[in-house]
Amino acid sequence: MTFVPSGYYNPDKPMEGRITDIGPRHYSEFLPPVIKKNKGKWLWHEIIEPGILMHKAESGDEVYTVRCGSPRLLSVETIREICDIADEYCGGYVRFTTRNNIEFMVDSLDKAKKLKEDLNSRKHPGGSYKFPVGGTGAGITNIVHTQGWVHCHTPATDASGTVKVVMDELFEDFQRMRLPAQLRISMACCLNMCGAVHCSDIAILGYHRKPPIIDHEWLDNLCEIPLAVAACPTGAIRPTKTKITTESGEEKEVKTVAIKQERCMFCGNCYTMCPCLPLADKEGDGLVIMAGGKLSNCITPPKFSKVIVAFIPNNTPRWPELAQVMRKLVDTYAKHARKYERFGDWAERIGWERFFELCELEFTHHLIDDFRDPAYYTWRHTSQFKF
Amino acid sequence: MDRAEAKQKIIEFLESKKGSKTKFYFNDFTKLLPDMKSREVKKILTELINEGVLEFWSSGSTTMYGLAGAGKQHVEEGE
Amino acid sequence: MPKHETPLLDQLESGPWPSFVSEIKRQSEFRHKNAEAMEKEGKPYQIPVDVCDDLLGVLEMSYEDGTTHWKHGGIVGVFGYGGGVIGRYCDQPEKFPGVAHFHTMRVNQPAGKYYTSEYLRKLCDLWDFRGSGITNMHGATGDIVFLGTRTEQLEEIFGVLTHELNQDLGGSGSNLRTPACCLGESRCEWACYDTQELCYQLTMEYQDELHRPAFPYKFKFKFDGCPMGCVASIARADMSFIGTWRDDIKIDQEAVAAYIGGELKPNAGAHEDCEGFDIQKEVIDLCPSQCMRLEDGKLVIDNKECVRCMHCIRVMPRALRIGDDRGLSIFCGAKAPILDGAQMGSLLIPFIKAEPPYDEIKEIIENIWDWWMEEGKNRERLGELMKRQGLQKLLEVTGVKPIPQHIQEPRHNPYIFWKEEEVPGGWQRDINEYRKLHPR
Repeated sequence: MTFVPSGYYNPDKPMEGRITDIGPRHYSEFLPPVIKKNKGKWLWHEIIEPGILMHKAESGDEVYTVRCGSPRLLSVETIREICDIADEYCGGYVRFTTRNNIEFMVDSLDKAKKLKEDLNSRKHPGGSYKFPVGGTGAGITNIVHTQGWVHCHTPATDASGTVKVVMDELFEDFQRMRLPAQLRISMACCLNMCGAVHCSDIAILGYHRKPPIIDHEWLDNLCEIPLAVAACPTGAIRPTKTKITTESGEEKEVKTVAIKQERCMFCGNCYTMCPCLPLADKEGDGLVIMAGGKLSNCITPPKFSKVIVAFIPNNTPRWPELAQVMRKLVDTYAKHARKYERFGDWAERIGWERFFELCELEFTHHLIDDFRDPAYYTWRHTSQFKF
Repeated sequence: MDRAEAKQKIIEFLESKKGSKTKFYFNDFTKLLPDMKSREVKKILTELINEGVLEFWSSGSTTMYGLAGAGKQHVEEGE
Repeated sequence: MPKHETPLLDQLESGPWPSFVSEIKRQSEFRHKNAEAMEKEGKPYQIPVDVCDDLLGVLEMSYEDGTTHWKHGGIVGVFGYGGGVIGRYCDQPEKFPGVAHFHTMRVNQPAGKYYTSEYLRKLCDLWDFRGSGITNMHGATGDIVFLGTRTEQLEEIFGVLTHELNQDLGGSGSNLRTPACCLGESRCEWACYDTQELCYQLTMEYQDELHRPAFPYKFKFKFDGCPMGCVASIARADMSFIGTWRDDIKIDQEAVAAYIGGELKPNAGAHEDCEGFDIQKEVIDLCPSQCMRLEDGKLVIDNKECVRCMHCIRVMPRALRIGDDRGLSIFCGAKAPILDGAQMGSLLIPFIKAEPPYDEIKEIIENIWDWWMEEGKNRERLGELMKRQGLQKLLEVTGVKPIPQHIQEPRHNPYIFWKEEEVPGGWQRDINEYRKLHPR
């Protein structure tokens, strides 16, 4: 590999010619003309069919948006293909949504339908769609998610894989609008939730269940003990000394840390600071399912998701137990909830006791909150309950 | 305290801790320089960064400051 | 013949949903095919040609052993910035040398995530040449994410981004994270303010806070154009800006009649089966403040009682429109559960106009930062500081008068910590005066 310098960086004088603090490009450079012209002057919109939205402006202009899914993880080759499509149909403009969908905008329904057909015809050699059209209205849209085993150092599962499995299972509802209301699913691969999933209709969350292993022999060589101690949010780590037998059989006393294991909440912050405190474990790690949260202020206020399944193992590559639970949740919701009723509003109306019964989920002590003060407010304080 | 003195104080503080700990939170420096406003402290730290005396260390979610090149992480990361 | 056999990952190529495995394979094949051409162009791939093969290899290993093979790196970055780059190293560098270093770069996305193909292609060319060619469009916070490059490429990529693409990095660590917004007025009739412009202006105003971390922990701004909350600001932003209005919902009675008469599709066509629209059941009865009724076939809204949940507007978008006296509400302190439990944003400012140059909004932000930087503990989010010191303290530092809108309900206990100056006569009392009436 020959290193090709960009010509903009001199390691001996790093500040020379350096441009900083210029921020992002101004969005107005990237707005399609019809969007720029009618910005702030839209009248109404309508979902013409799954995956196609129409927005009508005061000027009479119409813009047709074709929405399609993406795995979020995109190769530049696929982005170049997206660019080709944008050039062919949309005058070279495209946008992405907060939930990792891709939106192509055209000026007539005919073009939108043609584009939809084109997008749905493009497939990977392995058989999956590249750009499945859907994700609108009372259905399931793309699952926002995190890095998982693809790129993160503290995940308890893979994010892309679990999302793929769930979207395969629920694919029909990505392309349809048969549910009582929209159903937002989110995925985060550890409890740090770099993708905040705690207000989702259904959240899939990776979870560790074993405290870190301590690599006593190497810890003091590779880590600064005060930093490892300070990293623990529950104060479970303290400095200590211990006698070890090295790989070569030598006995010696080393500086290391001790962990109050019952205090560990499995966040991995110590591992971030110190690679001698790994916590990933095949049997220990898996998934938690949370449900009933929402973000919008529509009808009911936003609410947090609640834990409804304490553990699902990482049965790679296709997490069959996960797919099964998700199918059951979605079908039960579709069957029992009222029109416009979000998942959590439905569960609260029928009562969580009925929810567990209908969804055939086992209730165990893990699902009763015992974490700090807010736990009390989740216990039952009324004689109103169902048998 | 003028800027040069403040810089000196920061460097001396970091040198004195070098044996056990090489990375510090921003508010460790505001405590070190209690008479300065935090925005002033930040300007001084930024200058030290730009002079190559200090460097950032980031956990991804939080950030710390330390003397450039100091600490066990450099060995571990091979940088 | 692939470099590594990946029988487990291969099972994630089938099924309808776009396969991330196919994406990585696609880039792998392209790199092998394109390597020679790049060489000839004088642009040999700057990180190993088989980087994607090794990414698949190490990922297959994780699928076998159920654990990650990445380690964190805290030192790498671009000179002078404390954020924007996340260091990653593989714990099996001998087996997978192509991903021995595999750092992430966060690139600050344009507000609303609109792009031209011309610009995207430039990003692709840069990342193909100097990185793995694998991206996230986009990261959870909103950035364009470049996944995987080597340390020596970081400055080169940053140099090209800033010099040729007029484009900066995003945030990470204890700083202002890359602000993000919904698409707002650009294509939504419900946007109550220009989310893109406010997002852009505040991003530019606070570049120093974004690149040079000096906060106790991360700090997020998110901009939702209306109470629907498409960017989830109320759940995850330390300061959440949610559009709202204070005058009347605009009603087109003819369109209301058309919805009742079945000529218009209710709920903007969001339900497959939209036969038999019942305005009483589907709109009026679901109104959370019960502020609407039908009178002689006309819809009447008692706007004073409306809480702007927007359900009626979304069900009948051609009949009902948001009011004209528009602005935004500011909520503070939302965060994910780590550590002390999740928090929603708490209302601070019920209504403020959102007009350039946004000086009033900036003043609120800076007052909050001054307080948090002074009082916040390490790794304490704004919401946790609010819990520790009370909503009163937030109102005090921002100079906001307490009003009932700030609370869901009044306090449950009488333990009011009165201040001395609030009690007539103060707290200094004379025991001898007291004893005149109450002998020992």
